[in-house]
Amino acid sequence: MHLLDVESLTKRFGGLTAVNNVSFHIDEGEIVGIIGPNGAGKTTLFHLITGFLKPDSGTVKFKGENIAGLAPHKIVNKGVARTFQVVRPFRHLPVIANVMVSLKSPRGARKIEWLKTMERKALDLLEDVGLTELMLEPAENVSHGDLKRLEIARALATEPDLLMLDEPFGGLNPLETEFLTKSILRMHLDEPSRGILIVEHKLYALMKIVQRVVVLHQGEKIAEGKPEEIAKDKKVIEVYIGKAM
Amino acid sequence: MVLAPLRRVYSSFAAHVIDVPPRLLALLFFLLVLFFPITTQAKSVLLILTTTFVYGIFAASLDLLVGRTGQISLGHALFFGLGGYVTSLLSINLKLPLWVTIPLSMLVGVLVALLIGFPCLRVKGPYLGLVSIAFPIILVSIIYYFRDISPPLDLRNIYGIPNFFPSLTYYQQGVAEYYLTLLLLLFSGIALYKIANSKTGMIFVSILDDELASKASGINVTKYKLMSFAISGLFASLAGSVNAHLVGSVGVGHLSLSLSFMPLIMMIIGGIGTIYGPIVGAFILQILDMYVLTRVVDIPSSWHYIIYAIIVIVLIIKWSTGLARFVVEDVLGELEEAREIEERGRHIWKRYKRKEKK
Repeated sequence: MHLLDVESLTKRFGGLTAVNNVSFHIDEGEIVGIIGPNGAGKTTLFHLITGFLKPDSGTVKFKGENIAGLAPHKIVNKGVARTFQVVRPFRHLPVIANVMVSLKSPRGARKIEWLKTMERKALDLLEDVGLTELMLEPAENVSHGDLKRLEIARALATEPDLLMLDEPFGGLNPLETEFLTKSILRMHLDEPSRGILIVEHKLYALMKIVQRVVVLHQGEKIAEGKPEEIAKDKKVIEVYIGKAM
Repeated sequence: MVLAPLRRVYSSFAAHVIDVPPRLLALLFFLLVLFFPITTQAKSVLLILTTTFVYGIFAASLDLLVGRTGQISLGHALFFGLGGYVTSLLSINLKLPLWVTIPLSMLVGVLVALLIGFPCLRVKGPYLGLVSIAFPIILVSIIYYFRDISPPLDLRNIYGIPNFFPSLTYYQQGVAEYYLTLLLLLFSGIALYKIANSKTGMIFVSILDDELASKASGINVTKYKLMSFAISGLFASLAGSVNAHLVGSVGVGHLSLSLSFMPLIMMIIGGIGTIYGPIVGAFILQILDMYVLTRVVDIPSSWHYIIYAIIVIVLIIKWSTGLARFVVEDVLGELEEAREIEERGRHIWKRYKRKEKK
């Protein structure tokens, strides 16, 4: 059984078919990348998987269970977390509160001791992404690069079995890109059974991390395979650079 | 032996209250309010402050919903009037004691809040504001309906609502009501403060800041919005029911649009998103209304509202986050900086003196 199994997923907006019969899967412990030119339907695909949009047809199975069309918070509670392409921090809350809000909370009697450990857990997560110094800073004062890291800390706080990152390298300078690459690989080592799905434009950064790549173009999957294969694939090159004259 | 623990208690108190300028200010203000009744023998004067306490509870309840969770509610008078109506009908007709009718009206407030919360959830922003205006109007229509059936039941105004302390003299009632309402204000303020600073409160702010990101963080936004409505309705109906017993009457005037806007203005003038803000705003507005315009300055009453409106507009423009917030965050914040610089200066001077001795 695959961790995530997307089958014949389709989404139309009026006359435009944003996602057209897309199927792919990701297994436990895999790091898979989704690439494609702008408008290929990558973020729409994310929305469909995480419950922000309902598909017109097709299924999304997470651990065998069909989650298509469920409310976003329910999908998160089942173990699928995502980040956003444009950072969406909680501006009025300090950085540590941004993480605390996302922490998975147990029910019942354990809640009281849990409240004490809540701070500790949030601090640990901030340490993982390197944001401990900015702990008490209101999120509205934090730089873009740090906010990107906060997004990931928030996603990790929900203890996901599938982590979906939407253009995590967007707007990062080379130093930040390197730090993030190392962080993602460390995340993978810390939780070997967790699946990671990354949508990204910065191919040089992405190809170093992922084990498999899915290529979308105008809503359709046009290629799938190992990074080296995809880099040489004629169709993929054509889609990015254009037909040879 | 006795002194040591006392000293510890005092130093802990000093560290937590006296050394923090905003809290010291709050303490002084509280002491002022606490001993105020000594200065006057007129119940009317006490009543001004007593109603201010009630409006403080009302405004603070709205702040949780509007300022913290971001749900624009322009019909909050619904709970104020409803609280008054429920407690008066129960205490007059069923002769139930006040310590039963007031909690019951708070319960009704919660239930009604959940009821109207559902349609309110479907709309956002200004549309939510429009929808929320409708609800007190609906209740007024229901009241008028009862007047138009036969036999007619005229609930437009209910008089003769029992007082909290029927056995005391007029002035003694005033003092007792003053302290009772002050106690309720303290209780409500502390309760709302604790809620605002809990994880639930943080979740409310996350809904205000970015509902989509909140959902993506696993938060059941619907559930928390309803919770915010319910808590807000609870305290607003507390305010309304207490007010009914203070004033002795309740009517459709307590479901008016202007009563819905009043806590909103108090909240904006005092400071949105804080718990102390709307309470301070209530004081500012009440004192402005009662004293400045009718006693100190001699103005024909027709000018009263125009000047009131101008002052309110000026206050909102000049201190857009709220006067109380301005004082706490900017003025007292700067004071703290000055104190820290002074401390550091003293430290450096001490070290210099020590070096000199050597």
